[in-house]
Amino acid sequence: MTDLYGIIYAYHSYAGLNDLVSDRTSASLPFCSRYRLIDFALSSMTNAGIRDVGIVMQRNYQSLLDHLEGGKDWDLARSGQGGLRLMPPYGTHDLDSGEYRGCMEALAAMRSYISDIPKNSVVLFRGDLAINIDLKDAYKHHLASGKEITAICTDKAFDSGSDCVRFIEDQKGVSRHMHFRHTSSREGLESTEVYIIQKSLLVELVDWSRKNGKLHFHRDALARYLRNGGSVNLYVHKGYAAHICSVADYYAANLDMLSSRYRADLFPEERPVYTKGRSSVSTFYGSTAKVSNSLIADGCYIEGEVENCVLFRGVRVAKGAVLKDCVIMQDTSVGRDSQLTCVIADKDVFFSVGIVLTGSRSLPLYVPKGKEI
Amino acid sequence: MKKECIAMLLAGGQGSRLYALTSKAAKPIIPFGGKYRIIDFPLSNCANSGIDVVGVLTQYQPLHLNSYIGSGQPWDLDIQSGGVYILPPYQGYGQKGRWFSGTANAIYQNIEFVDMWDPEYILVLSGDHIYKMDYSDMLSQHKESGADCTIAVIRVPIAEASRFGIMDTDSRGFVCRFTEKPQAPESDLASMGIYIFTWKKLREYLIADEADPMSDKDFGKNIIPKMLAAGEKLWPYSFEGYWRDVGTIDSLWEANMDMLTPELIDLYNKMWPIRSRSPKKPPQFIGKSAVIKNSVITEGCEIYGLVENSVLGNSVTVRRGAKVIGSVLMPGCVIGKNAKIQYAVIGEGAVVEEGAVIGAVPENSGKRSIATVGPDTVIEAKSLVKAGAMVYAEKEA
Repeated sequence: MTDLYGIIYAYHSYAGLNDLVSDRTSASLPFCSRYRLIDFALSSMTNAGIRDVGIVMQRNYQSLLDHLEGGKDWDLARSGQGGLRLMPPYGTHDLDSGEYRGCMEALAAMRSYISDIPKNSVVLFRGDLAINIDLKDAYKHHLASGKEITAICTDKAFDSGSDCVRFIEDQKGVSRHMHFRHTSSREGLESTEVYIIQKSLLVELVDWSRKNGKLHFHRDALARYLRNGGSVNLYVHKGYAAHICSVADYYAANLDMLSSRYRADLFPEERPVYTKGRSSVSTFYGSTAKVSNSLIADGCYIEGEVENCVLFRGVRVAKGAVLKDCVIMQDTSVGRDSQLTCVIADKDVFFSVGIVLTGSRSLPLYVPKGKEI
Repeated sequence: MKKECIAMLLAGGQGSRLYALTSKAAKPIIPFGGKYRIIDFPLSNCANSGIDVVGVLTQYQPLHLNSYIGSGQPWDLDIQSGGVYILPPYQGYGQKGRWFSGTANAIYQNIEFVDMWDPEYILVLSGDHIYKMDYSDMLSQHKESGADCTIAVIRVPIAEASRFGIMDTDSRGFVCRFTEKPQAPESDLASMGIYIFTWKKLREYLIADEADPMSDKDFGKNIIPKMLAAGEKLWPYSFEGYWRDVGTIDSLWEANMDMLTPELIDLYNKMWPIRSRSPKKPPQFIGKSAVIKNSVITEGCEIYGLVENSVLGNSVTVRRGAKVIGSVLMPGCVIGKNAKIQYAVIGEGAVVEEGAVIGAVPENSGKRSIATVGPDTVIEAKSLVKAGAMVYAEKEA
């Protein structure tokens, strides 16, 4: 039995995601034909033997609830202790804006829950990462370091957002200094903002933040911890890592999955990624289908041309339709002779006959959920 | 707990005519149509028909079957007030353990299980058919007709009738004659091997049949003829729609090819989903060098070669330059570079190495002959498996 507890943040979506998050949080963004982003956090945890996971939610969490149900698909529907714990906003009295302004505020709102965690260590994980972390190995590394906190870092360029965090190595694998990208160079190791932290320290940081009206994990709580002589153990995650902060990030990360190397990073045989089951048939390719360099989910029906695309479950591509560099979500239907290039189509979009839409790789065209064109 | 009707699914047979494919696992667990295994069809039909107690009788090579069914979750049969129960042969108090000696004997040995639910009716199913059927409609006919046994029937081409249990009906529509696999069939009304019995009645016949030393303890050969002879009322439930027996390599291959005409069985209908246990694989990847025509492909596949008129289960790899034509590739098999697979069935986890050739496209006038490679079998590079041949690994190392 592992001594780890998992907490996933699913309360915040970056504004750069625009309409992609008008009906969902970034944690429930559809990704790579059949997944939602939160599947990566959940699967990283369950593959490390974590059996207790709390999910911090705030707004637009309907689609997340639909996806998670009771947690069965991640083996988190437990009859005894633990399992999946969904935490909608508590609406505590000191939260008058109705929205968490920072991670520490979110954690403070569930202070009693956190202090009741029956484990010694907690993994804090963002729900909007495309990453498959070997947390078992990271935890071993954490324990061996003797530190109270381990930052999981990546050796890849990771975050397109302005507020990413880097740790400067003071000695091999240990850091007493962090900085934010907009304040300095690319020196140091970039944090995935996934941490393994001793529960007692987490409670202490939450209490301090609450008492002093501090909102942020890095800027406030961790900065103070380092100022007071604390240090952070650094664990480097090798392999694919993406933080989805904008429509461009979303599009690029989906198309990244056309690379077999990245797929091998995200879907290693020994640490599978679990997701909600949906019963669908296998995909049917008609005699006029022409498909190349694409990821296709089950349940599609393809009679047209598909190149460099990511298709989700139940997508229909009619005869004569041509799709290039597109991300097409669940149950969307592309009519005869339509031509879509660099388009992100959300769920249940209906393109009738002969529709021509063209975006560009740097500025993909987004078509919202349920639109009929 | 009382149930009106429960199902008993006969899944213990070896399926000897599928020899190479069933050397390691029972017939009902054979992959079908890309995404499915044969047993998904009766299990999903049960769940969709509102039958929530299903006893699965196992005997031959049950390991994979047991683990596939598991808690019954994929079919929504993991419920408190019923669910799916694996029923292997067992040793009773003061007895030697006994194998199930026939289909009727398998139910006989589980009379206690059936009695536990105190059902009015019992649905008896087999695990080797591909079809969608609303058993609740069959049950209503059973009740309305006042029959003691209702047999699902379908019209078959008279030339094939000798493979089935064939029956005739009287002027009121009841069954008046039943012949198991007749040499000279006089009717085209075939039993689909799906029965609903009034349990009280069947219970009596099972006990009587068990005491008959001459009996084969078989529904088609013994129970049905005996009920008929005794003047019990047998009602034929006519089924129209897609139904295929997949007991032979040829019929299994043909039914798989039917998947290339999706409207035949219409698995897209969300009102009657056929569910399966998903292997948790990433989506299928179609490479730049791939060409795919008129085929069915499943998650986890990686395709870099040519696939035409074929059905691929999950996690199949088709390497560059390979050609797969008119074939069924079961989950996890690997087709090496420049290998050529034509009119073949390749078992789960089989590996066809570079440049090997399996099967052949039938000549215009010639009879079609399907080549078969058993599960986990390795076909060495550049070797040849002729049309119609059957190759399989003898035993696991």
